[in-house]
Amino acid sequence: MARYIIKRVLMLIPMLLVIIFIVSFIMNLTPSDPGTLLLGERATPEAVAEMNARLGYSDPFFVRYVKYVIGAFQGNLGNSWKSGDPVIREILRRFPATLTLAVGAIVIGLTVGMTLGILSAVKQYSALDIAGTAFSMTLASFPGFWIGMMLIILFALKLGWLPSFGVGTLRHYILPWLTTSCAFGASMLRMTRTSMLESIRMDYIRTARAKGQTERIVILRHALRNALLPVVTILGMSFGGLLGGTVTIETVFSIPGVGSLIIEAIRMKDIPVVVGATVTLATCFTLLMLLVDILYAFIDPRIKARYLRY
Amino acid sequence: MSDEMVDYKKNFSESTPVLDVRNLEVIYRTSEGVVQAVNDISFTIAEGETMGLVGETGAGKTTTAFSVIGLLPERTGRIERGEILYKGEDLLKKSEDEMRMIRGTCISMIFQDPMTALNPILTVGDQILESLEIHNIEGKSREALDARVDELLSTVGISPGRKIEYPHQFSGGMKQRIVIAIALACEPLLLIADEPTTALDVTIQAQVLVLMEQLKTKLGTSMIMISHDLGVVAKTCDKVAIMYAGEIVEYGTAEDIFERAAHHPYTDGLFRAIPKLDEDTVRLQPINGLMPDPSNLPQGCKFHPRCPQCMDECREGKPYLYDQDGHRILCNIFSEKEVNK
Amino acid sequence: MDKITIADVDLKKKLRKKGRGGEIWRRFKKNKTAIVGMFIFIFIVLVMIMADFIVSYNVAVTQKISNRFIQPGSAGHIFGTDNFGRDIMARIVHGSRNSLLVGIGAVTIGIILGGILGSISGFYGGGIDSLIVRTTDTVMCIPLMLLVLSIVAALGTSLVNVLIAMMIANVPHYIRIVRAAVLSVVGQDYIEAARACGTPSFWIILKHVIPNAIGPIIVQATMAVGTMIIHAAGISFLGMGIQPPTPEWGAMLNEAKNYMIDYPYTVIFPGLSIGLTALSLNLMGDGLRDALDPKLKD
Repeated sequence: MARYIIKRVLMLIPMLLVIIFIVSFIMNLTPSDPGTLLLGERATPEAVAEMNARLGYSDPFFVRYVKYVIGAFQGNLGNSWKSGDPVIREILRRFPATLTLAVGAIVIGLTVGMTLGILSAVKQYSALDIAGTAFSMTLASFPGFWIGMMLIILFALKLGWLPSFGVGTLRHYILPWLTTSCAFGASMLRMTRTSMLESIRMDYIRTARAKGQTERIVILRHALRNALLPVVTILGMSFGGLLGGTVTIETVFSIPGVGSLIIEAIRMKDIPVVVGATVTLATCFTLLMLLVDILYAFIDPRIKARYLRY
Repeated sequence: MSDEMVDYKKNFSESTPVLDVRNLEVIYRTSEGVVQAVNDISFTIAEGETMGLVGETGAGKTTTAFSVIGLLPERTGRIERGEILYKGEDLLKKSEDEMRMIRGTCISMIFQDPMTALNPILTVGDQILESLEIHNIEGKSREALDARVDELLSTVGISPGRKIEYPHQFSGGMKQRIVIAIALACEPLLLIADEPTTALDVTIQAQVLVLMEQLKTKLGTSMIMISHDLGVVAKTCDKVAIMYAGEIVEYGTAEDIFERAAHHPYTDGLFRAIPKLDEDTVRLQPINGLMPDPSNLPQGCKFHPRCPQCMDECREGKPYLYDQDGHRILCNIFSEKEVNK
Repeated sequence: MDKITIADVDLKKKLRKKGRGGEIWRRFKKNKTAIVGMFIFIFIVLVMIMADFIVSYNVAVTQKISNRFIQPGSAGHIFGTDNFGRDIMARIVHGSRNSLLVGIGAVTIGIILGGILGSISGFYGGGIDSLIVRTTDTVMCIPLMLLVLSIVAALGTSLVNVLIAMMIANVPHYIRIVRAAVLSVVGQDYIEAARACGTPSFWIILKHVIPNAIGPIIVQATMAVGTMIIHAAGISFLGMGIQPPTPEWGAMLNEAKNYMIDYPYTVIFPGLSIGLTALSLNLMGDGLRDALDPKLKD
């Protein structure tokens, strides 16, 4: 098991190299350079060129890539072209807001989505099932940021119950959490339902019923645990996705998270920040997926057996 | 919980049959329409007796079994008519909780495919233990139950040390032994075996059948052996019911079916489709055609479109019921013979 | 078999009458929500095609400050007007082109590219498969929205560039779907049989693999168009996509977000358009999935 995990961690290294390469390559195409950004529009071309050379920007792309990778593995993601601050510090400053948003949304979406998913599957075609499916499909069809706007109009402006933007207190997070958990909760509901429906049809469920087991235990002990694998996958992927994919929602609620850091940096063509933040989020994602794989082993002994063979 | 439990095993008199199914009718309501799965069937099984339930896929064998154990698909399956008397008590009148106590202790079931019948994420020991825990009326200690698990595993020929292993670590035959151990954990009076050997290799089949036979004799369990294999039925059963399109077309003792001459044309067809070693058969004779679509059964005798001896009166109305000392055949050719007599 | 019985003839008739397509359509038809979704989608497509006949493009882009913020329901302005006095309904009608074009375009091209790579990967396996799988896995670690945004930042903001960015960012996703679909078919005995007969590989893919794997791909594609429309709206909402005054639903929301406090209707209608389009596609996709794979139904 430990050998499997070590092997998987080692496999992350080439993946990260490729991710850094892809993101730097794309951003390298962006018409921007540090000299202009740091010195401003009015600086002389000579001064800009000198600045660029001093920062190593005049080097060929590949040389800069290798330097960046070496720095990155030491925790140095370069400096912002705009503020001159280390990128890693900017990211760390923004990360708590993003994490708070993601974790809260996951907790809400997981609880509501999974509970409704299980109930929908157990009582397939009941009113609850139909309502749940309709509700989740509707939520999944509307853009999250628009749902956020509607919630602001309703709860903050019309009813005046909750603050509409900012991150002062946890109360500020209630609307963003609800907004973010909509899409996630909806996919959770659908996945849990489908997966449960499949496992409920399995022969071993009939075996358990034939033993005289109560329906509650048949569902929770036999069906749910077997239905958990795809649910855990979606959970991991969504969590990773929520860390970076909530740019629009962060914008609506003016949450200073990593997503809005990236969008600000893209607007200002502050390339080191874009690359650094994107790579950081991608790393979080890969680590989460690794965690999901390890969780598999605890859910399914067959997968554990496969890992042990490594 | 335990004071609510009723021990259904205790209250019965010796003379009543273990199972008495009367005029059972089961339908499935699907999006494709209503399916007549089981159509007015009756049979009885006495204590220690084994009845073979023979027929093609889709004949209603498994539906019959599910009706008896009360596990018909909740939403689609429905028992329209009939009685299922277990020790004289109608199971159809029992509440779900009462049925739950009957399942496992009084009636158990072995499923067709051992590969999927065991929960892949629980150890086999836990799965056997589960059966014991549910019906632990006497409140035995965990140690006693564990000991019983070991005992059950040795009975079916598996080393008790392997109880901490998961189903995927066992072969198909071994899994079926575990399934049998689960089914017999509470020593039920009636065991329904739904094609218990179909998914197994021929050599393993024989082993499993011998094991089941031994356990059955030891425990005095009655059994319904569902099979499409007449060979298996001939070896194990005291009684045979041949099902076709939801009906029992022929019913009688093993002797009636395997020794006597009078048969339903479908039974004849089944026999002709089996290779015989002692006769010089040039080629096997399959029964022509396919089983009718159960949502659209033919009028009259259900078998008439495929019957080589089909007569005009077979196309409509219920076929004649021939009954000689309990050997029942549902076919018009016998009405003719009687008239001619 | 020497004698053909009535049952055989019946069966053959039945098989001939309903092909696979007919059978799927028959099941799809029974699903009322899917049919509702289909009609909504047909309606939206008709609006898109007939946009110029419904209301002229000029109405959608002409700014007239004196007409600012006319409330919905007023004469001539069913959905009201926005901060520049443009008719919101006209902008929604003409915006449908851009939104649907990006959605359908990104998915179509993505599926073609992803389809080719995915089939190669799934069918041949081995080294090329692991190369493709590793690369897609890696790319998929980058959050989709961020990948699209950086590509758009590199290429510049325009409708075509958003389309290209979404397509590039989505190809790995389709490679995965197609590969999974192909793999589920390739293991089947009839493919082995075709191989054993010496049928050339590309012919097996064309004749056996694709027709049998196409079902789940169509389902995914239908739903993906909805998702892409939502993503495209998000990009425009951030001001990185289609630029004003070109009407596009996401861009409309971006412009209106500063006025939503006083004039909520300016954000409600464009959002409803996005949602309704995506919903209709999701309903259709769901119905298609059930029709293609009825085993989960009862």
